[in-house]
Amino acid sequence: MTMLSRRDLLRLGLSGLALPGLGSLAFAAPGREPPALLVLLHLRGGCDGLNLISPANDPDFVAARATDLRVVEDGFALANGPAPGIDFRLHTAAPALAELYNAGHLAAIHAAGLAAGNRSHFVAIDMLERGIADTGALLRTNTGWLARSNRGRAAGEAASISIAGTPSGEFLGMGGALALPDLGGGALPPGGPQVAAVLANLYRLEAGPAPVVGAGRDALAALAAIDRRLPRDATGKVVPYTPEGKANYAAAGELARPLQVLAQLVKMEVGLSTATLDLGGWDTHEGQAGRFRNQVGKLSAGLGALWEDLARWQDRMVVVVTSEFGRRLRSNKSNGTDHGRGGVALLLGGRVAGGRIAGAWPGLATEQLDEHVDLAVANDYRHIMAEVLTAVDGRPPSSDVFPGLGAAGSLGLFRT
Amino acid sequence: MVAPSDPSLIASALSRAGHGPLPGEAAAIAALGWRRWVDEQLAMPVGDDASTSARLAALRLRLRHGAAPDGAWAAMDEMRPLDTLGQPIEALWPLMGGKMKMDAALRRRPREEAIAATIVRAVHSERQLREIMAGFWHDHFNVDFFQSDQLAVTLPVYDREAIRPQVLGNFRHMLEAVATSPAMLIYLSNRSSRAGAANENYARELFELHTLGRDAYLNDRYDRWRDVPGAAQGRPTGYIDQDVYEAARAFTGWTIEDGAGVDGKRKLGETGRFSYVEAWHDGYQKRVLATEFQPFAAPQADGHQVLDLVAAHPATARHLAGKLVHRFVGSRPEALVGQAAAEWGKAVAAPDQIARVVRLILLSPEFMAAKGARLRRPLALAAAFARATAIDLQPTEGLIGALAGAGQRLFGWPTPTGLPDDDGQFLGTQALRARWALLLGLAENWWGTGLAASPPTLRAAPPTARSAVIAWADPLGISDRPDIAQAVLDGLGWPADQPLGRPGAPDTERKLARIAALCAMAPAFQTA
Repeated sequence: MTMLSRRDLLRLGLSGLALPGLGSLAFAAPGREPPALLVLLHLRGGCDGLNLISPANDPDFVAARATDLRVVEDGFALANGPAPGIDFRLHTAAPALAELYNAGHLAAIHAAGLAAGNRSHFVAIDMLERGIADTGALLRTNTGWLARSNRGRAAGEAASISIAGTPSGEFLGMGGALALPDLGGGALPPGGPQVAAVLANLYRLEAGPAPVVGAGRDALAALAAIDRRLPRDATGKVVPYTPEGKANYAAAGELARPLQVLAQLVKMEVGLSTATLDLGGWDTHEGQAGRFRNQVGKLSAGLGALWEDLARWQDRMVVVVTSEFGRRLRSNKSNGTDHGRGGVALLLGGRVAGGRIAGAWPGLATEQLDEHVDLAVANDYRHIMAEVLTAVDGRPPSSDVFPGLGAAGSLGLFRT
Repeated sequence: MVAPSDPSLIASALSRAGHGPLPGEAAAIAALGWRRWVDEQLAMPVGDDASTSARLAALRLRLRHGAAPDGAWAAMDEMRPLDTLGQPIEALWPLMGGKMKMDAALRRRPREEAIAATIVRAVHSERQLREIMAGFWHDHFNVDFFQSDQLAVTLPVYDREAIRPQVLGNFRHMLEAVATSPAMLIYLSNRSSRAGAANENYARELFELHTLGRDAYLNDRYDRWRDVPGAAQGRPTGYIDQDVYEAARAFTGWTIEDGAGVDGKRKLGETGRFSYVEAWHDGYQKRVLATEFQPFAAPQADGHQVLDLVAAHPATARHLAGKLVHRFVGSRPEALVGQAAAEWGKAVAAPDQIARVVRLILLSPEFMAAKGARLRRPLALAAAFARATAIDLQPTEGLIGALAGAGQRLFGWPTPTGLPDDDGQFLGTQALRARWALLLGLAENWWGTGLAASPPTLRAAPPTARSAVIAWADPLGISDRPDIAQAVLDGLGWPADQPLGRPGAPDTERKLARIAALCAMAPAFQTA
């Protein structure tokens, strides 16, 4: 028997029944508990973790950088840091993150990243998305780690979504991952029922370029399912999305729309289990201070608004914020920083053991640096992601999700 | 080997080496021979053919903006010629500064005009292969002209002076034209790089994206240059982080006249032109790709030497051959990539280096056999549809937005990788929806781009839905797929054999254009 989709099962009237051999699939049938939601937010371009959360009083840090590329005394003090005596401070543009941290919902992992040294954006991103540890494995690995984790097969017409133009690399090789940057104009194909009827016929044909046929079928099915649930006014126009409670995305810049699409999809109960989003603008080789402040402000305001907006879902969701690498300890003469190694990861969720900076801190003395220049990676992102998967799915990921990942002590990222 | 005289293969070839056949063109070229078309195209000079020049001169693009809140300028809504395209950088540079009071729409006008010209050329130019190559090199040497107004004003000059002169010429020449272009110096921030702590942005992408390629990045050697295979013979097989750091030092002082202060007394001019500032250059000895650079070389000699080394490196030949083959063939057949890389290396000093490699690829059996292997990107899709349906296409703001929605914001890809050649970018849920809308919008003239003209057979007698799907199949290159015609007919819901209206009447033509768009939505027309 081939794998049945949820649609097939619904058609057969079997959803929610325990079927032999299908025990590992968790269906989100109407009225049942929706799947735990995993959200990956990529800070594209290499976020300067040392400027987001600074070891403010570390003399090696103070010596290496211009003042405006460091968080100083006016930054938000973060309790429970990873190194006694070092005063870790969060960027002043991130008041909402400070509040979430102090309330125990947000945790940070400093000196996080790829175990193998890599200072190329594009190679590092590929390695993160494919969940592999060394560049040699890139050529042999043509699937993403989420694709191998089976999360995408969990449930619903729209289980896996990148809120972007194209599915994120973690979904690579899975099929069925959607890419939806916005829902503003509704979700039906253009041109009314006649065009919809022709498209349905055309993409039912078996002949023809397989990737296009497959993508077209997925798109038509998902668009129809989402469109059915989009609220409309009396004239049939899509009603603009209204966030709940005090949630306000106004200061989230280009992150505002994708975050609201995410919140809306969650509330539409289309079976969403995994979503990815991007926030670019972190490749600050030049004039970092102002650009960095802007992006941190958007990140902070956006996550703060999402947390309010999805208040009813907080205990079922985990947001993981990562970047492909951190940046050089020493700033350059363009008032910027070049590609480095260790960065910061953030975790937000109702079950996250927040209010602390988890993991090890390698220090910034020259001999502690990676190749004597960069904050070293003390916390392998694959360990972080494995711990996240274990928490959201209730069991550790199978061994092929992060190939060759050895056992490591828990970072204690979640409350037990 | 497949016979290259099969018109359906030629139609596919014309859709990969150009923007798709005009009605009847595939059969005509099949009769004359593919090689002849390739050689004619390669022989065409830099610049626009006479008819495209005339078209660009006659084109008017809307300029619309509101009045300044403080009354400094009035609202404007008029159709304007493309005045900025031929201007030198010093004429455009003042647009980006705060010294001139004007609406942002005027500051961005150079970019919008260059985008419009690109669409005109894609649809109408006789020099189709040159247009495809210009697109290839813009992707390869990507600059995001939407990042700032400063970049927006540099696009016409980048397109005209850095990219187009060498699209079929010599790679080393193009590399230097790009390295000294205001656009690249701003985008990858080399203009602010100074001795002491150089900015590595440009140097890294020079190695990783522009020349040797990421496959040649030996990330685990970091600064251990002697551990790179071949280093002892002065021919390292790849590059390491230290090469990036050292090359960054070599390019310190390569900047533009942007008014920056050199010292207390001296300021650069404000022309936007390339400038070399000795005071900012790190003159001490360097080692790049296992080659020792002498200290205090002549002005710009360090940078020139880096460009010489990377342009001649075998990994560059391999990287560029692979990308070119992928662009034309849709995959990277090992044998063809090897031949193309060998030709690249052999012709490394030739003024027509790139043309020789492109010719080898276009005349290969792998190219001709690759029918359907390439997904049409949105501009290629729109241009192919316009050419097949004889739309006398005028670019408009609406069309430019529709292309962006379908995944191709022209000259606006954010990362230096350039718009990817992978299909994923264009097969996302929303991208497909926008792609179908792009076809329907062109056919129904939603954006004022012009009306389609139905094939002569549909004007001779009252057309029916059935005669329409059959007649459109030929220019759209899907006449071998009767199942598509049937699927469209079944979905249309119009009686298949009743006349749609009086031949040539506007209402009839509207229906026929809609049928053309529906046929073009078939999966088969998405690839070439």
